[in-house]
Amino acid sequence: MNKIIILFCLLTTISVFSQGNIPNVDLKTMEGKTISFHEVTDQNNIVIISLWATWCVPCIKELDAISYVYEEWQEETGVELIAISVDDSRTVKRVKSLINGKGWDYQILLDTNNDLKRALGASTVPLTIVVKDNEIVLRHSGYSPGSEDELYEKIKELTL
Amino acid sequence: MKNLLLIVSVLYGTLTFAQDKGYFFGGFESNTQWLLNDEGLNFDAPEDQLRSNNYFRLDYNLGKITAGVQYESYLPSALLGYSPVFDGNNAIGTYYLNFKHETIDITAGYFYQQFGSGLILRSWEDRQLGINNALKGIRVIFTPTDYLDLTGIYGKTRNGFDVSEGITQGIDANFNISEALNIDRIDLDIGASYVGRYQNNGTNDTIPSIVNAYGGRLNFVAGDFYGGLEAIIKDPDVIANEGQLSSNKLYDGTAMQLDLGYAKKGLGINATFRRLENFSFYADRLAEGNIYNQELIGYTPALTKQQDYMLTNIYVYNAQPRLIIETYDQRAGEVGTQIDLYYNFKKGTLLGGKYGTKVAGNFSYWAGLDAEYHIENRWYKAEFIGNGSRLFRDFSVEVKKKINKKWSGVATFQNVIVDKGIVYGGPLAVEDDIQASIAVLEGTYKIKGSKSVRFVVQHLWAEKDRKNWVAGVFEYNFNSNFALYLADNWNYGDTDIHYYSAGGSYSKGRTRFAMNYGRQRGGLICIGGVCRFVPENTGLTANLTVNF
Repeated sequence: MNKIIILFCLLTTISVFSQGNIPNVDLKTMEGKTISFHEVTDQNNIVIISLWATWCVPCIKELDAISYVYEEWQEETGVELIAISVDDSRTVKRVKSLINGKGWDYQILLDTNNDLKRALGASTVPLTIVVKDNEIVLRHSGYSPGSEDELYEKIKELTL
Repeated sequence: MKNLLLIVSVLYGTLTFAQDKGYFFGGFESNTQWLLNDEGLNFDAPEDQLRSNNYFRLDYNLGKITAGVQYESYLPSALLGYSPVFDGNNAIGTYYLNFKHETIDITAGYFYQQFGSGLILRSWEDRQLGINNALKGIRVIFTPTDYLDLTGIYGKTRNGFDVSEGITQGIDANFNISEALNIDRIDLDIGASYVGRYQNNGTNDTIPSIVNAYGGRLNFVAGDFYGGLEAIIKDPDVIANEGQLSSNKLYDGTAMQLDLGYAKKGLGINATFRRLENFSFYADRLAEGNIYNQELIGYTPALTKQQDYMLTNIYVYNAQPRLIIETYDQRAGEVGTQIDLYYNFKKGTLLGGKYGTKVAGNFSYWAGLDAEYHIENRWYKAEFIGNGSRLFRDFSVEVKKKINKKWSGVATFQNVIVDKGIVYGGPLAVEDDIQASIAVLEGTYKIKGSKSVRFVVQHLWAEKDRKNWVAGVFEYNFNSNFALYLADNWNYGDTDIHYYSAGGSYSKGRTRFAMNYGRQRGGLICIGGVCRFVPENTGLTANLTVNF
């Protein structure tokens, strides 16, 4: 029990420093190559990271909804969306056929044994995070229709 | 315990010396239920009416070093349907210390690992299923070049707050041929795995103390085509049922999976074939087939489409990798296939309309292995494909359509046939099949901004079992942070029971809170093809997650 108290104390004093760091976790590309999450987010532009799965209905709704306006978003702000699938080996084979069948233009990465999902503490998907200058500046879980517009408003603010 | 103190002191040490450099991350998750007596469901709340599963995770990173602990509590008991190994416990569940620098990655403590598709080895955590089979020991990953990686593991499997009796060791290698030889036209990679389990055989020297499994795989992407093949053989081992050895006889096991796909913009197809024969691999030989999925080494999920709606999740499939040779039950494994299709009717075409129309379909067929059994000799022989009894068959079609700026909808139809032994447990292919058809209509109306309503109506037709069902969901999203819902599944064909529920969720940044009250339909809850049986119950549940 003492250890728990120690941990909680640590937590409260240090959580102030903890905000917004990018976990150092490896992901796979669709071609099976390893890429670190640091490399993925280390860009000049603002990056939207969406954790999704082929079996997650709201995830697909969100990515569908953004796909209708993605071209516009990119033209206006240069933002890039990277959709990271947390499908495990049961469903990961569906990722490629699904993204093509949907006609999505996002960069797709795989987190097959959920190392990133764990590191981000995402107990549910979808989880949407926005990264600017290697820092997580926004985090939202779940999807409701229209929340993509709110997301875009925030991205426009961030690009100013 | 010593290890733990070491890690805590490392955390402290790094904190005092390098506060400006390192950072903390982690999260807290709490899932609580308050079970209530319900005469209408014939549900008597158990003695511990209030139950709570809590997970507190804290990790610290400083440059090349990351360390973490996860504290868990299941007080006074774990949620209904979880393995009793968790009941009434609270302690540090996992901890680790990791060093990662360029080509080398070393972890001591608890770690999660998957080889290939996981058939031969997968350790992972799923809190909703009550699975955490992290390995406790040491892992080394060596990545000398872009096209080669090697992983070695050694450890015991977590089982509740204890570890397995058996020790698992393994080596995995992946080699990307195209990258190594600079081939552009085709992307080809191969992999090989070895996993062995050591477990003392006591005085019974007919039982092997070490059981090894070997696997090989190949994956390719060539233009719009892609695919993979994986095959595994497992050394002869005894079989066990409900914690007892069935006999002293040894049987080897095999697994084979083939995937093929074609995908270009607007169209995707993929097909999977898998055959499992006596392929269950646990960290303790007596844990074979335990209903709580504890002490798993290999991962053999049901390869069917995970359906999305309440009524499409009543009749689900659960993979059947086991060998059983008894008078009351004989089975040797499964063989079958799953096919998915995705198609997008482009915008501006007749069927596409203004926004395009997205269509998805699936077909799956799974049969028990076609085998002969000789019960007295405990002998069997299985065909490669043969004509075994059908255990599950389904097909479904789903059409998604954005109608205008305000309205969008989904229509789904599924037809499913399932063996009663799959749904209710017990011997397979003995009782009748259940056949059901399910239709679902879902609509979403955007009111303004992120304010919207969503409704779902569903109907299930079945001649047998509990016959017909009707269900509905109404959801109101006040904004992107706050939503409320009402739902009801009504079995009007047989029991006349309403499984109603109501609830809501609120999420903001790093925090999410959800609460609901109602009746839980009993049955299999499946996530990632692994199923947990949940008894019918009534109560109030609350979930809180906070990340930092």
